[in-house]
Amino acid sequence: MVSRALAACACAWFAACSDSSSAAKPGAAGPAGAPAATKVRIQLNWVPEPEFGGIYAAAQDGIFAKEGLDVEIIKGSAGTPAAQMAASGQVEFAVTSGDQILSLREQGGNLVGLFAIFHTSPMGVMVPDASPYRSLEALWHSDATVAMEAGLPFVRYLNLRYPGGKVKLVPTGTGLAAFERGAVAGQQAFISSEPVQMELKKVPVRFLSLAEGGYDPYTVTVATSASYLERERATCAAFVRALREGWTRYLADPAKYNAEISRLNPAMGIEAMAIAAEKQHDLVAPPKGSADEVGWMPRERWERLAAQLKELGMIKEPPASIDAVFWNAPK
Amino acid sequence: MSTVRSFLRGAVPPAVMVVLLVAAWQVCIWAFRPSAYLVPAPMDVVRAAGEMRAPLAGAAWMTGTSAAIGFAIAAGAGVLAGSVLAAVPFLMRGLYPIATLLQMVPLVAIAPLLVIWCGYGPRTAVASAAIVSVFPVLAATLDGMRGTDRGLVELFGTLRAGRVQRWWKLELPWAIPSIVTGLRVAAGLSVIGAIVGEFVGAFAGDESPVGILILSAMRENRTDLVFAAVAVAAIVGFVLFGLVSLGGWLLLRRWHASAA
Repeated sequence: MVSRALAACACAWFAACSDSSSAAKPGAAGPAGAPAATKVRIQLNWVPEPEFGGIYAAAQDGIFAKEGLDVEIIKGSAGTPAAQMAASGQVEFAVTSGDQILSLREQGGNLVGLFAIFHTSPMGVMVPDASPYRSLEALWHSDATVAMEAGLPFVRYLNLRYPGGKVKLVPTGTGLAAFERGAVAGQQAFISSEPVQMELKKVPVRFLSLAEGGYDPYTVTVATSASYLERERATCAAFVRALREGWTRYLADPAKYNAEISRLNPAMGIEAMAIAAEKQHDLVAPPKGSADEVGWMPRERWERLAAQLKELGMIKEPPASIDAVFWNAPK
Repeated sequence: MSTVRSFLRGAVPPAVMVVLLVAAWQVCIWAFRPSAYLVPAPMDVVRAAGEMRAPLAGAAWMTGTSAAIGFAIAAGAGVLAGSVLAAVPFLMRGLYPIATLLQMVPLVAIAPLLVIWCGYGPRTAVASAAIVSVFPVLAATLDGMRGTDRGLVELFGTLRAGRVQRWWKLELPWAIPSIVTGLRVAAGLSVIGAIVGEFVGAFAGDESPVGILILSAMRENRTDLVFAAVAVAAIVGFVLFGLVSLGGWLLLRRWHASAA
């Protein structure tokens, strides 16, 4: 494990030293003279699940192809350094989080957010329904043991928001086994993942939302490197258009696309995917009455996130220009 | 004086190599200018270590303690198991291949099970350290005891020494050089085992062990801090290795050529 950290850094090092551009030039002629599709790769930061439903819908319905893109969707897993891979040019696009985009920029990894899949964070803490902890504040002020990944910004946020907390944090490495056994009073959760597994096991749980607790970064965001955006703006615009269309279709009919996602991730069945899609729907679809389209990122959200991360000590200063951190492709 | 000279002869070359390697690392940073999140400069690592010296020191103590306890358990269990297998050939033929097979099981695969069995906290790190370091001690003990001079074994038989007497006064002393070698290997492995256990089962907070510091630093994109924590882990392993080597030297210096 210690050597794994070094090996990951070494691989990233070699990638940084090598030529990073591997996408076909846009407009380059194909064999019959017609423009060849631009090859791009998107690295997911987790296994195929409904949280990426719109991406798979865009692929399945040929929307990427209509936009002149030949997209390879690369599955992720626990610990996939998706953000670093996009920042170093190993892939053109990656799914990451807004706080990761901002903190990586301070380390020289200039990412730009293109599409916020969730307008409201799906992260939170799952507790048993019978738990005495009805809020994050109550949980944090208890001496309970909670499975939560140390080092993530929302842990700092909760420590700052609820000072003097006695809660004990442990890693989430045992999956849900510790939660089911009652060894932990709460478990870090993604609304369309852990609570779904508990629902299938008929274990009633309550989800304490981090967004409602005041920390609402763009948790699942498609990003690219600043240099790629500068070189391939048209490609990025096409990619975002395809994502918007893909997500619109997925939100309207998730069942049509869940079969393929389940085939790619047999550990999550169709029933689980259907529940997940339902739970995440309102966090992805634009709020009723909003003029924003799916994926659209208001400037003030990024400003607020940057200010929060500075307060948490995750970044030294907000970016000089917040507009450099995100880019809404023209509608 | 000859002790000091031989210490310097052993310490100076690797120290010089470390300096040269760090210098080469810095030159590569200046030449290729990689982003900090990919590879930090040596000075950034030193700076991060300085900023976090208190947490790193606390982490080193916590991880070192877990590793040391796990190592001690592995040492006792390994010597005992090796002695039993050496004394009972049937058990050795039956259990040694199984022990070898179990040693191939990746620790990261069973670490979550250790949390379920041992609970959260240092116990998982200790168990993890013990599991990963017991086999080298077992194998070294078995090897050492099976190499006991046959003539001396017969002599002990002629003098009607009991089985335990033969083990205590002949086979175990005979195996000590081999056991010390096994303990040296186990010392480094115990730190790795402790950190793997911490990855899945340690408490995070104001005082966290090295494994949690590494995970936190990776999630915060603090590659400099990852390197600093890894360096601390290496130092802890080196200290444990050094203590075991010192113990072996003290034990063997008067009568075994390997400690000359």
